[in-house]
Amino acid sequence: MRRSRAAVVHGALVVVSAAMLVPFYWVLKTSLTGENIFQYPPALLPRAIHPFYYVDVWYGIPFVRYLTNSVIVSAIAVASNLVCNALAAYALTLRFRGQRAVILVLLSCMLIPFQATIIPAYLITKELHLLNSHLGLALPLCSTIVCIFVFKASFDAVPRSLIDAARIDGLPEWRIIRHVMLPLSTSAVATTVILSFVWSWNSFLWPLIVVRDPQRQTLPLGLSTFLSYMENTTGALYAFCIMVLVPGMVLFLLEQRRFIEGLTSGATKG
Amino acid sequence: MLSVQTWSPFRPSAFAGLVHYEELLFHDEVFWTSLWNTVVFMASSPLAIALALGLALLVDTRIRGRGIYRAIIFLSYPLMTVAVGVIWRWLYDEKVGLINYVLLSLGVTRRPIAFLDSYEWAMPSVVVAAVWQIVGFFMVILLAGLQNIPPNLQEAAALDGASAWQRFRSITLPLLRPAIFLCLMIGIINSFTSFDLIYVMTGGGPNHATEVLITYIYRSAFVLSKFDYAAALTVVLFVFLLALTWLANRATGGEAGAVDAAE
Repeated sequence: MRRSRAAVVHGALVVVSAAMLVPFYWVLKTSLTGENIFQYPPALLPRAIHPFYYVDVWYGIPFVRYLTNSVIVSAIAVASNLVCNALAAYALTLRFRGQRAVILVLLSCMLIPFQATIIPAYLITKELHLLNSHLGLALPLCSTIVCIFVFKASFDAVPRSLIDAARIDGLPEWRIIRHVMLPLSTSAVATTVILSFVWSWNSFLWPLIVVRDPQRQTLPLGLSTFLSYMENTTGALYAFCIMVLVPGMVLFLLEQRRFIEGLTSGATKG
Repeated sequence: MLSVQTWSPFRPSAFAGLVHYEELLFHDEVFWTSLWNTVVFMASSPLAIALALGLALLVDTRIRGRGIYRAIIFLSYPLMTVAVGVIWRWLYDEKVGLINYVLLSLGVTRRPIAFLDSYEWAMPSVVVAAVWQIVGFFMVILLAGLQNIPPNLQEAAALDGASAWQRFRSITLPLLRPAIFLCLMIGIINSFTSFDLIYVMTGGGPNHATEVLITYIYRSAFVLSKFDYAAALTVVLFVFLLALTWLANRATGGEAGAVDAAE
């Protein structure tokens, strides 16, 4: 009886997992063989695997430039997320007048999706003359409220006596953050790095608006540009796709637990 | 919430009054189409949540390899949506797409369906791809909720002779309410923000069949250069978002407030 139930559960999960994986398989296969683009019926198993399309992507389009742009933008976003959010969170752990109000405002702002503010954000970036720049690309991603609360939760767990001791020893506030708080919150740091990396790496709408110069395009933009002039007719498109997906996937598989924790804690705190 | 916004609905320095809103409400059919499509998109999230709930219950059972299943199902969520759009375009392809091949082989259809180019199929196709991407995320949230339910409640009910279904109805579901509500909120916000997928898969077409508010805002502002009009649209989007959040809040008896205030 128990056996058969477990079998049913396994069966259902295998079917669902297959449904989740087949799209990846299909694209991976196409990127390695170029099959099916002009051929019908499609072959289910790959034949004659070759890396030609990957080479094609690497040399045929400015892949390296897209990659560099993406890396720079993500690096700015991750670094500033760490700094800004840690500072903000530390401020929120101190007692001050209007603290509750600040927290409430932050919490309600969390419900506002960035997409609802793109027009003003665009106009501001334009006024700052940051269109077409890496900084302009990274700017809206530079601080995320979710991560502030991730940090705050972790800072709140640091014993007060430790902070007081550091103060008595004459450490300035910023060194307390640097040498006391952050080393004790490695988990929050990791969560922030992961989340802000994924968000900036995947962001598409904002670069689409801000970047007009092909030299400044990031990977998602490059992919969509490539798609717009290639349509579905080359294996290189799918090779490109796989190359873009790999960093996110690897990061997720390596840091799966932290990733899920970060997202759910961020979400449930919201 | 509104106070933190710095938008300027009427950017041309001349005061335009409610002209844009008038145009939007009475003379713009695309606006209504996009609004309707947004609602359709939103209506798909209960479906995704139900699916995710089923999956969460399955993964929550004590079976081997559940960590692997969970990872696989969640895998699609953190991926770049643009790439996901490309993948699904490829699956939906009219001539050589996998989905058409399967449907033809099973004899479901006689002719291949041009999913993304047909007026009736474009929206459902995009919705399927969107659900595919987000279902793992919902599942993980619900799973966290499930694991917070103390197991002795279930055991006590089982001792009292409650069937599995009764236990699910009167213990699991009520206790899972906050998690479900959270998913719903994310689903609602998502329906206003899924730009990437639609842009890549259909670009809002064919003939606005998949135009949602956010793609329309993008087009108005950055393709047609009607910033003021797009700003008016943004305000509408915002009002909707607020109203829905408020409604959802009411519907769950202020539980959202509880979630919100959980600092």
